[in-house]
Amino acid sequence: MTAVRRPEAVPSAGDGRMPDPRGVRVSLAPGTAVSDVPPLVLEPPQIPVAPAARVTGRGLLGGAAPVRPAPPPDPETHRHVLANGQPIEAELVPLDAVRSMLLRGGPAGTRDRVLILPPSPAPGAARGVARQEVVVDGWRVELEIEPAARAALRERARRGREEVGEHGPTEVHAIIPGVVVSVSVAAGDAVTAGQQLLVVEAMKMQNELRAPRDGTIDRVGVGAGTKIEVGDLLLVIS
Amino acid sequence: MATSRSESRRAPSLRKDEPSAPPFRRVLVANRGEIAVRIIRACHELGMEAVAVYSDADAAATHVRLADRAVRLGPAAPTESYLRIDAVVQAALDTGAEAIHPGYGFLAERAAFARAVEEAGLAFVGPPSASIDALGDKLHARRIAHEVGVAAVPGTLEPAPIDRADHLAAIVAEAERIGFPLLVKAAAGGGGRGMRRVTAASELPAALVSGSREAASAFGDGSVYLEREIIPARHIEVQLLGDAGGRVVALGERDCSLQRRHQKLVEEAPAPGLEPDDRTRLHELAVRVAAAAGLRNAATAEFLRAPDGSFYFLEVNTRLQVEHGVTELVAGVDIVREQFLLAAGRALSDAALAAAGRAASPDGHAIEVRLSAEDPARDFAPTPGRVVRWTMPSGPGVRVDTAIESGDRVPAEYDNLIAKVMVHAGDRGAAIDRLRRALDETEIAGIQTTLPFHRFVARDPSFRAAELSTGWVGDHWDGPAALRRAIEAAQLAAGLAAMDAAVAAGGASVAARPAAVGAAAPDRDGRWHRSGLESAQDRWPR
Repeated sequence: MTAVRRPEAVPSAGDGRMPDPRGVRVSLAPGTAVSDVPPLVLEPPQIPVAPAARVTGRGLLGGAAPVRPAPPPDPETHRHVLANGQPIEAELVPLDAVRSMLLRGGPAGTRDRVLILPPSPAPGAARGVARQEVVVDGWRVELEIEPAARAALRERARRGREEVGEHGPTEVHAIIPGVVVSVSVAAGDAVTAGQQLLVVEAMKMQNELRAPRDGTIDRVGVGAGTKIEVGDLLLVIS
Repeated sequence: MATSRSESRRAPSLRKDEPSAPPFRRVLVANRGEIAVRIIRACHELGMEAVAVYSDADAAATHVRLADRAVRLGPAAPTESYLRIDAVVQAALDTGAEAIHPGYGFLAERAAFARAVEEAGLAFVGPPSASIDALGDKLHARRIAHEVGVAAVPGTLEPAPIDRADHLAAIVAEAERIGFPLLVKAAAGGGGRGMRRVTAASELPAALVSGSREAASAFGDGSVYLEREIIPARHIEVQLLGDAGGRVVALGERDCSLQRRHQKLVEEAPAPGLEPDDRTRLHELAVRVAAAAGLRNAATAEFLRAPDGSFYFLEVNTRLQVEHGVTELVAGVDIVREQFLLAAGRALSDAALAAAGRAASPDGHAIEVRLSAEDPARDFAPTPGRVVRWTMPSGPGVRVDTAIESGDRVPAEYDNLIAKVMVHAGDRGAAIDRLRRALDETEIAGIQTTLPFHRFVARDPSFRAAELSTGWVGDHWDGPAALRRAIEAAQLAAGLAAMDAAVAAGGASVAARPAAVGAAAPDRDGRWHRSGLESAQDRWPR
């Protein structure tokens, strides 16, 4: 088997969504079953980089003194990256346009086959955020990737907003598509956490949706027979 | 082993045609998805034309493309398409089909459908409507088993009243007698629909109502009954074939203990850990119940095996099972082919009789995993959507039954089973090794599937040690933890890919501005990139 990095393996930089090589932040896209995995900030190793502009040529540039191109980084060193500030050994070896091998922890470490699908712009997100599906061990993980510096700015802005609206209403969204079979609450009803709110039929199974917290039903957006898609607003608890 | 059609038949008068002629000229396949594809393949192997039926959601589906003709039934909703008995029978009459194969699910176990097919003068590829009536109602089947001295799971033999407040006290008393935890089950049920687990008397009324409601919506019959929950139990079932001469044989058993919400996830044949005597006894119990119900064609008798080794009759499924393939691999019999020959009135084939003779001491081992569009980190919630990448395994001893191709949509309206990956090897250990290898080759993107769960099973020591029970999934599987580990690897991989791409595009220059870089062509000779490529080539010398 020959591993050749095909040109398609590199996402085009011409669309302005190219992450800054100084660091990227990779966070879970909304709607993932597990939400307590913190974002990963990945930065290049702190190794000296030739300070001059890249030299691509033959040595003499406009009569200037010959500049030696910096030697390629040591193949051992360049596998070190900073993950959330901690140095780790990790390398991604592309096998084709989608398949890669993720090597962690050096020669004696782990090897995982991963599928990295072509990125798409994250819906409704700021410019510069790409959404990417990565498949590891059969798990489909949707990630949002953006330059680490921009992510830090956005994070500060979001915190500010959250402090204002701490006790706002909770929106209950559909986590599976299907058809609403029955709604057991109406606007104005008091509910307790775990109480059944409605029944959704999807793929012939009836799934009960339960209240995520105590509160009062503010609004019910669906009725029996409503066809729903993932993310649709079902009701609001205040 | 191929099915042989020798001249030594006991009932030549039953033959509809010459032994070498196809049993039918044209067959309508009243199903969709992988099972429709499986049946169409058997049709083509027997030299018969296959007529597909489809809903609007399936107009471009694989089973439609594979069939020789196709008839539209109606909109996507099953009640307006695949469940319409009149439309399916009319489609068969219009296309000149001589037989209808129902597959599993949809109309497969509706006696009314089998009767409509019979009354239209067509052959129903499955048990006669009378057998479906007798066995399809689980309560009736329990009574039949009781009559022929086969022990059924302790519980009630009559439907539980659900809307009569005055009867509630009686059913609660009955429940106390059976003992908790118990299960509320739909008399017309299958696939766990209408089933509710009840741990205390106070939960019983609500469970009866919600179970009955789900059963009524799924089967059009809200009758429910009570059954003791046997834990830990193994779910073991026996594949049966019967001919018009009244002969019923067992081809072997399958262990289907790995389930969630009473839906099977992994099935294997033979059931590990059974002695030949156990097998003989189990097969004999199954044949006794089926023969008492006048079974023809193919059916499966399901049993629970209690920790003390005793078998309790559960129910008979009067249809082709999802997991029939593992029995085919071990027994060397093509069950769907046999179904067609039996439906045409022929006697049990020599291949089937020979396989039945070997069933107590089978050679080899087969395992099937059901790849479903479900999220194993979110309690196997359905995940319909578009499949953007679809690579199925192949190689020695691997069989994949699927109707999905890359780019296909998995509709929310139908069953979420999208592929069955089966492996066959000389013994159980080798089969598990083969399963692990096959699942490592499997690549699916676009929707979440049960693949991570199956990879876990293939590596789990207790599965290898055959420590199986219907509670296995709850005891061993921690989906969120497995997902968390995958997320960490995915984050790292995506981050490395983004950094590599950025370096390749803009070089390592700290001064590079996105605007300036955007104008330039990506530099694929970035130094980091090149050294990465070189080390990749070092690592993969060939």
